[in-house]
Amino acid sequence: MALPRRTLLQLIAGAAAGVSTPVAHTLAANNDAATIGWPNDVASWDPNQRFTPDAQPIFKAVFDQPLDQDPQLKLVPHLIRSWGLAPDALSMAVELRDDVTFHNGDKMTTADFRYTFFERVKSGAKLDIANSMRKVQDIVVESPTKAIMKFDSPAPTMPQWMTFLGSYVVPKNYIERNGFDNFLQKPIGTGPYKLAEYELNSRIVLERYDNYWGPKPKIGRVTIQIIKDPSARVAAIQSGQVDCTINVPVREVQRFAQDNAFAAEITPITRVILLNVRADLAFADKNVRLAAHHAIDKMALSKAFYGGAAVPLSVLATPGTPGYIPDFTFKYDPALAKQLLAQSGFGPDKPVKIGLAATNGQFPSDYDIARAIVGMWKPLGIDAELQVIEYAKYFELNRGGKLPEATLYSWDNATGDPEIFSGYQLNPKMPFSPWKDEDIGNRVLALFTVADYNKRIAGYQDLERYAVENGATMPLLQSVVTVVRKRNLGYQKYGNGWLLPQTLQWT
Amino acid sequence: MIVTVATLIARRLLAAIPILLIVSALLFCVLRALPVDPAAMSLPPNATIAEIEAKRSEMGLDRPLPEQYAIWLRGALHGDFGQSIQFRRDAGSLVASTLPVTIQLALAAMVIAAVLGFGGGLLLFSLRDTLFEPVVDVISIVLLSIPEFLWALILLFVFGVVLRVLPFTGEVAPGLPLPRVTGFLLIDSLLVGRIDIFASACLHLILPAVALGLAFSPTIMRVLRSSLFDVYHEDYIAQARLRGLTERQILIGHAFKNAVLPTLTLAGVQFGILFSGTLLVEVICSYPGMGNLMVDAVRNADLPLIQAIGLTYCIVVLLINTTVDSLYVVLNPKLRIR
Repeated sequence: MALPRRTLLQLIAGAAAGVSTPVAHTLAANNDAATIGWPNDVASWDPNQRFTPDAQPIFKAVFDQPLDQDPQLKLVPHLIRSWGLAPDALSMAVELRDDVTFHNGDKMTTADFRYTFFERVKSGAKLDIANSMRKVQDIVVESPTKAIMKFDSPAPTMPQWMTFLGSYVVPKNYIERNGFDNFLQKPIGTGPYKLAEYELNSRIVLERYDNYWGPKPKIGRVTIQIIKDPSARVAAIQSGQVDCTINVPVREVQRFAQDNAFAAEITPITRVILLNVRADLAFADKNVRLAAHHAIDKMALSKAFYGGAAVPLSVLATPGTPGYIPDFTFKYDPALAKQLLAQSGFGPDKPVKIGLAATNGQFPSDYDIARAIVGMWKPLGIDAELQVIEYAKYFELNRGGKLPEATLYSWDNATGDPEIFSGYQLNPKMPFSPWKDEDIGNRVLALFTVADYNKRIAGYQDLERYAVENGATMPLLQSVVTVVRKRNLGYQKYGNGWLLPQTLQWT
Repeated sequence: MIVTVATLIARRLLAAIPILLIVSALLFCVLRALPVDPAAMSLPPNATIAEIEAKRSEMGLDRPLPEQYAIWLRGALHGDFGQSIQFRRDAGSLVASTLPVTIQLALAAMVIAAVLGFGGGLLLFSLRDTLFEPVVDVISIVLLSIPEFLWALILLFVFGVVLRVLPFTGEVAPGLPLPRVTGFLLIDSLLVGRIDIFASACLHLILPAVALGLAFSPTIMRVLRSSLFDVYHEDYIAQARLRGLTERQILIGHAFKNAVLPTLTLAGVQFGILFSGTLLVEVICSYPGMGNLMVDAVRNADLPLIQAIGLTYCIVVLLINTTVDSLYVVLNPKLRIR
């Protein structure tokens, strides 16, 4: 069969275009497109289902949250135009915008709001927002834009929860009309981008939603390329296959910072690296707990593993957030640590034996930090056996009381509110901390119902100080996020580390 | 010959049934012995003990292990491999969506391994008793000692970062769509008439396929050479020389045809290993295949997904072995007579 010359030429031209695409992509930035190298895929396109901090910026591109946060993490109106929390915090009136549409053109109303935060939760669907919305007794719809959230107990932090992981409004009619499986295949939200294409573990293609109610994204098409291996992400940005990437090793950020073609940043965020501790076993002795904390040189850890950018912490809150106590320092004092251990009959010759669990690769340098801590403890008389655990098993081990005395842990709180820092970390009824103690537990539970904002914040500051002074927790460092991008690709920095596709722009 | 091959395939498929049952039972028991609770992991962290117990009962985890296995097996026979804990989707559909990607990669790698292996083996043998022999020998040993993931990193650095001639993230360039008809992108791009996607997919396939191929070619190379040494001691080689054939004619026309049979068996075994070798290469090259999915599954202790992927690997290896054995029958007349 003879191939017509014209067809042959078209085929060759097509092939040449295909071949040249990746190379061309590295050389010339298309002003209306950008590619981001991202470390993890979304687990599911149901945004209410899982609390996955890494997926938050992706969800925020496709879906909208009722309230939002500005770059300094202050609460700002979003889908909710205005809100009013009752003085007893048992109800919250909300007024939604009336100009919001889903990507299929359907108008977003309070029916969608009620469906998301009440009907879905009560339907028995296993959603992580069942946790954040557990106090919601009902949502009374007054009009398409007005509703009242009713709580079964005071919920003073409900506005903060409206910006937290999993709190995204999903389309009631679309889901009921097409079925949930269809929604998962073709998810729609009210966000600034439509999901144009999704390939599991490969890429997410976002296209600007032209009828978006808010500021339109500057870049029309954003491709999120899933690159799980940190070295591959470094190679991808270096070679120009992506325009921007996150969570690259700190030493690589320092190298990129020397290169004029790139901008590279290490930014502290609202994530705390801490040692979660037990109140029993060898840590039943308060002296041992305090000694273990005093023996850790946090600045040395920051310099060694985060280029000095991670701020040493003395409380379970990050600088700039309401619960932070700037004038409180839990000092690094090896001599005092030695003295405390001696009071309990321990020392270098008769070390106290404990276990230290850590993940390996869950957050930057986790295992290395744990090894360094073991090294800091050893000469003082704390002999720690290091064990690696999978993050996925953490809750299971904690539930079964199988965690050792201390576990290196990373706790993310995009809202910055102290309830989600110390309130959750020290609450013995919650699955996060292995510290199960009535004294601290009662203090925490009392704070959950305080409706007055200032009183609540002051209460949390007292709790944080008390918990650290009693060795109930050992905050170590404020975690960092690393970003490497082409120098002419700008983005809006957020205090919680979000890199939102809708804020990207070529300059 | 067709009857012999058909009989062999039928016999192999029958034998595969108990093998699959044993492997699936072993896999099931080993995964259940791990210190993780699939019920607890499939619920949010704040789930109560009662909720976990209810879930455990719903998943059949409170029943004796043989009964649990029977439930799983019944589901698997109906195509239901359970729900993935991480993705909260049917594990079977997740595997089905990624399997063609891995098969395509493994086949491309096998072609590269075969070309390099057979070519290199012939070259190694041709250079015997020359000054180059020890040099080429050392090179083949060095190649043998580099695992596939290291090849992936080396190639990625050289061709992706330094020379910038090859892409190494994903299946096609970001601007191009991904047509899905059969799941095999190379075929699908041609089916939809998009030669540009086909070309881009080929480019994206090069790095991971070469990394895998390079890691597996030295074994083929060395086995072919040693088979050629054996064959060259046969009488028919001496007779060929007496008939006045050139060394090239003897090597290609007589020795290679006979030496290739044991190498083919090895290549079949290698393909099974190569298939599982896609795991790390897919992660490094961000290739969205089953290996990449397996890494996710292991990281999240996603037992239903690990079980489904493990069983799929087993089926693929069994199919490969059957294919290689059939080929062996086709190529070796002695086996047909027997």
